[in-house]
Amino acid sequence: MQATKDSFYVALRNRLVAVDPQRTITIDGATRPAIVVAENEPPNAAPPLCDAFYLHWGGARAALPAAGTLMEMECTIAYRTKGTDQNGNLDRGRGLASLDNDVLAICYPPQTAKCDYCSGAAVPLGSTIFWTQPALSALVNAPPYIGREITVSVFFYPEVNQT
Amino acid sequence: MPINMIPGRHQAARRGADAFLRALGSEQITLRIADPSAGDTNSQLGITPPTASDVQIAPAVVEVVTPAPDGTRRIQVMLGAKGLQPVADSYGVTDIPAWLLGSQGLVYRGQLMPIKSVTSNCFAGSEYLYLLIATE
Repeated sequence: MQATKDSFYVALRNRLVAVDPQRTITIDGATRPAIVVAENEPPNAAPPLCDAFYLHWGGARAALPAAGTLMEMECTIAYRTKGTDQNGNLDRGRGLASLDNDVLAICYPPQTAKCDYCSGAAVPLGSTIFWTQPALSALVNAPPYIGREITVSVFFYPEVNQT
Repeated sequence: MPINMIPGRHQAARRGADAFLRALGSEQITLRIADPSAGDTNSQLGITPPTASDVQIAPAVVEVVTPAPDGTRRIQVMLGAKGLQPVADSYGVTDIPAWLLGSQGLVYRGQLMPIKSVTSNCFAGSEYLYLLIATE
């Protein structure tokens, strides 16, 4: 299951670098693509940054209980923006649309190779994970921010000896 | 000359706060600060733990205050700008309250206690005293 989470994150992160290389954030002095797995950050981490994607893993279950071992796990990607000061924060809607475009772009194609990252390097596990088309939530208006969540169901086969 | 026209008048409040803290016991507190992240894949995947540095700050006044409603221990710490500013400067910090809130916390009797709130007192546009609340 951990390999699925890690592979999904790394795939989206690498795609974000290609799709929108300017979309970066700085956390603890390091500049990185603006996509973060919430559970991989310290418990007392700063509040979520604007203009960045935060992945939250949800429940997992057998996809087809009657057939095979295929499982699905829910992932929510949350993001928000307050626009830019240069534009008097009037471009919040455009900022959100830009985030929407990026997240839709990085979710396609909806599959990637599954790798084990526990050793510090990507070790291919010989299978792929795939996911549903993103479902966009209604806009969340919490001045000065507007944001949204998207959800995808990620499908994978659990592997023996996999943590 | 009116007091608001005296240059460097904010130093009076800083020195006063420093003397106040020393008179109350002049303890020392340890602030644990995360080192800059390597920003590599392992740190993003939560595999490589972040390293941290411990910084001693004095003078400080530490008080154990009423526990939080859920029973967790709380401490209140007063720090003066005179003692804190040189440390913050060494890290290139300009916003000290935000820096304190972003730290890993205070080490009190061997236990790391995250900082929940920072209140700064200002005089003449300059901060001179910080009040921190940290919990288990």
